[in-house]
Amino acid sequence: MDNIIEISALNKSFGRIRAVKDLSFKVRQGELFAFLGVNGAGKSTTINIMCGQTPKDSGSVTIAGADIDRYPAAIKKKLGVVFQSSVLDRALSVRDNLRSRAALYGLTGRDFEARLARLARLLSFEELLRRPLGKLSGGQRRRIDVARALIHEPEILVLDEPTTGLDPQTRRTLWDVVAGLRRDRNMTVFLTTHYMEEAAEADHVLIIDGGAVAAEGTPLELKNAYTGDFITLYGVDEVSVKSLGVKYERTIDGFKLSVPDTAAATELIVRHPDVFKDYEIAKGKMDDVFLAVTGKKLTGDMV
Amino acid sequence: MRSVNALIWRNIKLFFKDKGMFFTSLITPAILLVLYVTFLADVYRDTFTSSLPQGIALPQNIADGLVGAQLMSSILAVSCVTVAFCSNFLMVQDKSNGSVRDLRMTPVSPAALAVGYYAATFISTFIIAAAGMALCLIYVWAVGWFMSLADVLFLLLDVFVLTLFGTALSSVVNFFLSTQGQASAVGTIVSAGYGFICGAYMPISSFDEGLRNVLSCLPGTYGTSLIRNHSLRGVLSAMSSAGAAPQVTDSVRDFLDCNLYFFGSRVGIGEMYAVLVSSVAVLLAVYIVMNVAKSRK
Repeated sequence: MDNIIEISALNKSFGRIRAVKDLSFKVRQGELFAFLGVNGAGKSTTINIMCGQTPKDSGSVTIAGADIDRYPAAIKKKLGVVFQSSVLDRALSVRDNLRSRAALYGLTGRDFEARLARLARLLSFEELLRRPLGKLSGGQRRRIDVARALIHEPEILVLDEPTTGLDPQTRRTLWDVVAGLRRDRNMTVFLTTHYMEEAAEADHVLIIDGGAVAAEGTPLELKNAYTGDFITLYGVDEVSVKSLGVKYERTIDGFKLSVPDTAAATELIVRHPDVFKDYEIAKGKMDDVFLAVTGKKLTGDMV
Repeated sequence: MRSVNALIWRNIKLFFKDKGMFFTSLITPAILLVLYVTFLADVYRDTFTSSLPQGIALPQNIADGLVGAQLMSSILAVSCVTVAFCSNFLMVQDKSNGSVRDLRMTPVSPAALAVGYYAATFISTFIIAAAGMALCLIYVWAVGWFMSLADVLFLLLDVFVLTLFGTALSSVVNFFLSTQGQASAVGTIVSAGYGFICGAYMPISSFDEGLRNVLSCLPGTYGTSLIRNHSLRGVLSAMSSAGAAPQVTDSVRDFLDCNLYFFGSRVGIGEMYAVLVSSVAVLLAVYIVMNVAKSRK
């Protein structure tokens, strides 16, 4: 797979604050790339630079083979962005909103109508076309935001905390649509999110802290590197658990044991078959990875 | 071009869909007319009468026509600029609600975005100003009509040019604003102050020489004078026909700023148009350069 985004030694300061420090990473075409960090970590600045909204101080940004400094307009055609909150016109109808934005990409007339019909079917908003955006629910509005981002058929979809505050059904719909786009059109998805469940589905995760890369890899690589495994043990008393000599905590149904990795878990189970009669093993979660890497928690309580 | 058209269409539609913005703009000329008629008509009439040489009495219809034409010219001179500031509120609103981020995400150039706002504000303002002009013409027709078709057409041209100027001025000023509170504050200041500095509320001739010279450096002053000239030409001509000496009508023209002086030199009608059009060109160029420069920062 080719790299569709290449960022190298990127720097950006606002006054004396260094928002981005020597940031380098690559995103491969067609992958779901999760870009994680707490508020103020430098995510938005990086995205704004990628989208041509903020000039960089130094470094290089290449998107779909084009340099952001030399071909900003060409790059903007390749990018579709779903912002954290809707930035469409609340007073205009859904159709008028999408028509006005599509025209800015040169999409008008029958071509626009055909694209609109396709997106309305994909995101199930045919019945909302005539309604003013301001009268829609948060979930409905989000679907229109996604349609706006896709109106010019971009190669890269930037999702900036797209599911914050959405109900589970709308969140599911959104992810189904994104999965379909990746499958059918090999679309690259650049995601920032506070929901670690979403990040865990990514092909590649980059954690940014203080404007610099703190860790990156696949979710499995990160879990293996930064968290241990957990064995949840049922139907035993605390004395037996204590005799195992590992760190544990009590849960409602049993005990949760912490072990360094899967091999250590296997060894422990093999050594104590009398204790391990009803149990399950799980790897650490992305929340644990994030906490281990940054020492901070991402706040993104699921609805 | 297609992109600019789309932006203009979007901006105009938003302006007319936003009932707060639209009605505030629309009722501005109407409110001004009511206030002027209620509070200033008698003041203007007394001022005219007292400014005439002793022994000269104006026929009632000419006096009413003078007052009506002066009220109309004052309202239009102010409205073309204040309504433009109101219409251009959209540019600030787009910044405060984040819509401009989405627009800048598109391949459209910053200059095209700037022109989109300018053209939409101009069209919206001109529609409102033309409606205000129609309202004022009805009022003038009711109190004393002396205008020819040419006067009306020139008046429309004046409104057109002054609207271009008001739009360009509001575009440059609003460029620096980013919140709706700031825009409201600026709108209030412009509404309260512009009428004085353009000579709409009080004739510039009534100020002392120093202030007259300062105000003659402001382009809006010439817009007011153009509107005054075309509103009052018919009634001043009727005054002459009624027997007023040329010195008398000329002193009335001086008093009402139909004759405008730049450091003592009288400014012709053609020169007034030239000043306004040049100002529009300069302001528009500044506005576009600022937008392009900002996008590169």
